[in-house]
Amino acid sequence: MAMDFDDMLRKIKDRQWALADIDWDAPGAETITPELHARLKPFMADLMWIENVGARGFAAMAKKAPTETLREIYRYFHAEEQKHANAELALMRRWGMLDGDEIPQPNVNVKLVIDFLDKYSDDMSLSFLGTVIPMLEVALDGALIKFVMDEIDDPVCQAAFRKINSDESRHLAVDFAVMDLLGHAQMRKLLIDLVGGWAKPSLILGVLSYVPLLNKMRDNIVAMGVDEQKLYKALERYANVGERSEFARRLPMYQIVKLHGGWVINRDHPYHLVADALVKITGLVPKALLRKDPTWSKELTYEPAA
Amino acid sequence: MSTHTLDVAVIGGGFAGIGTAIRLKQHGIHDFAIFERGTAVGGTWRDNTYPGAACDIPSRLYSYSFAPNPNWSHTYSGSAEILGYIEAMAAEFRLGPHVRLRHNVTGIVFDERAGVWEIAVEGHAHPVLARTIVLASGPLANAGLVDIRGIETYRGHKIHSARWDHDYDFTRKRVAVVGTGASAVQIIPELVEKAASVKVFQRTPGWVLPRINRRTAVLTKEFYRRVPAAEQLARRAWYYGHESVALGVVWNTPLTRVVELVGKAQLRRQVKDPWLRRQLTPDFRAGCKRLLMTDDYYPALQHDNCKLITWPIARISEQGIRTAEGIEHQADCIVFATGFDVSKTGTPIPVAGLDGRILAEEWARGAYAYKSVAVSGYPNLFLTFGPNSGPGHNSALVYLEAQIDYLVSAIGTILARDLRILDVRRDRQDQYNADIQRRLTATTWNSGCRSWYLTEDGFNATMYPGFASQYVHQLRTVDLDDYVVVEARADQRQRRVVPVS
Repeated sequence: MAMDFDDMLRKIKDRQWALADIDWDAPGAETITPELHARLKPFMADLMWIENVGARGFAAMAKKAPTETLREIYRYFHAEEQKHANAELALMRRWGMLDGDEIPQPNVNVKLVIDFLDKYSDDMSLSFLGTVIPMLEVALDGALIKFVMDEIDDPVCQAAFRKINSDESRHLAVDFAVMDLLGHAQMRKLLIDLVGGWAKPSLILGVLSYVPLLNKMRDNIVAMGVDEQKLYKALERYANVGERSEFARRLPMYQIVKLHGGWVINRDHPYHLVADALVKITGLVPKALLRKDPTWSKELTYEPAA
Repeated sequence: MSTHTLDVAVIGGGFAGIGTAIRLKQHGIHDFAIFERGTAVGGTWRDNTYPGAACDIPSRLYSYSFAPNPNWSHTYSGSAEILGYIEAMAAEFRLGPHVRLRHNVTGIVFDERAGVWEIAVEGHAHPVLARTIVLASGPLANAGLVDIRGIETYRGHKIHSARWDHDYDFTRKRVAVVGTGASAVQIIPELVEKAASVKVFQRTPGWVLPRINRRTAVLTKEFYRRVPAAEQLARRAWYYGHESVALGVVWNTPLTRVVELVGKAQLRRQVKDPWLRRQLTPDFRAGCKRLLMTDDYYPALQHDNCKLITWPIARISEQGIRTAEGIEHQADCIVFATGFDVSKTGTPIPVAGLDGRILAEEWARGAYAYKSVAVSGYPNLFLTFGPNSGPGHNSALVYLEAQIDYLVSAIGTILARDLRILDVRRDRQDQYNADIQRRLTATTWNSGCRSWYLTEDGFNATMYPGFASQYVHQLRTVDLDDYVVVEARADQRQRRVVPVS
């Protein structure tokens, strides 16, 4: 499972693409029926913002990475997540979903997670971020992107998501290789990281944002008329791939995230009483209490050239 | 063909070459020539004329103690004034007849039998001969070439900071600046005033410290003119002030934190947006890369027409720069403020020494020398700004002056004793470098960041790990015990190693 990170960085550089590589005005937008349009609009807004969850996570990981190569890889990943968000914004514009230049807002749970990451992720350890971000990537990005590719016929959308998908597969490959790398640390250090990470009061806020996010996205998928098993399969992937590495398995945080994933995919688990309640409670949070969008979100654009 | 053999050939007519020439004359050595590839003297300060170009060491200290200038207009002078100072020195010391402009030296070979260097000059059929050589080509002589994908496809205007195009009008132009180092932070505030938009492409942010630049009062200039001792005193004050900074900048100490706190306070004071502040916060220890001294950079970045871009550059396209977030940032002109091609491995020109050895081959994995001035196997050859002579906290001119005095003394010995060979001993050189590399491990430069101080392998061939005073002290005298000395230049059959007294 050991990865040649220098080789991966070369690959990442070689496979860069730009918004200008896609003809956003090509035929096919008419394949989005009015009914699909209505369901798709909030979904795309959430998806676009979920890209920023990954983006902000990678930005924090770039600061923590132990080698210059890995730092550079995370810098690229951060940028690529932004590119995905830009491409999704360009699709929304193509489908007439944007109201002028206004950036659509995500649901409250996505927003809470972004707020949390924006405020605290720079202070979190790599072993914390390196185990949680992959779960968010497989569960949210992975499942939602698959959903878009299965359900939407627009060839421009298909072309864009093929590129996004191949970027994401490199993200996941690195995510799991880094988990494997982190698992090589001494158990003593891993436990110190774990205790140190959980001892922070801010982490409670993180958990309170993370737990309802997965259930909320499940509800969204169901509302779109899609089988929630697609999300569960993505969640299972985290454990399936993680279990292949004896070193990743040593990470206490991996075990916790995996355990939590197991609860999420078991609809009969009492955990859902809490998670669903949190979805309802967070749904009542007045907008005024939420933080303003971070200034980096103003960088989002559907324009291929600036 | 001239058969005259110069006593000294100085290669390079910049600060180092002019300073060497002055000291040679002051020591009664007049048979020398300065080989300058350009059309005028001045070196780095002749080439770097970009808007805002200035030195971040106070002028009082960024000048020779043997050529004081009471007329500096500001605490920190701009490039034009520094160039004027160099030209004025050349005129005052009547160096004109010694300077050979448009003489591009393409290689030097040592003739062991004759004890003479053969200097190949571009366009000249025969080599020039010289008994000694001062390689004063300077570390900042060559512009750093940029290796970015697609650079050849760009259709707009390209400018390198070290070769500024003064004919290009930036008014109403969209400008991209690649790089955020010492040159960039000086150029950007100037461009923001003129151009329609400025996009600054940053790879890694540096530590930015305040620079208080005051105009020198007329009375102060007059006072320094009348009381030169007072000017020397001011110079010493600046010198020791900078020496104290070494404690935080050269070595990782609690004082390094203090330097970082000053940098962070400057950032907090000048940048209010937390994300921009995060983007501008370095992730390496202060001193690891060159410190940036400016009050104007952060405010310029926040001008309405300026934008900092931190996404990695994916490629340069026909119309601009494509970054990894998928956007093409279109520009009418790209300014490459990418610094200099500081040689840490090769040599500026091919140098062939004893037994045909090639210096660039020996330096392939990182340059080294004895006290940064001489290299074993290359007799009668002296370097200015040689390996491991770079300062991180004090004026380069202090180091340079010590080198010049050392090499002029060595050259004086060669000429006075009619030596055929003065070649530094390999064991002394190795011992010296082992010590330098050991001491470097404790410095900020070797603390983990990538910088132009280090080779790809992380070897530091650039910086001196100590106080300027230590550096100056070690060059105070030429100890012949450090050298293999061969006399009897006239009779080449007789070789004799001069016994060490």
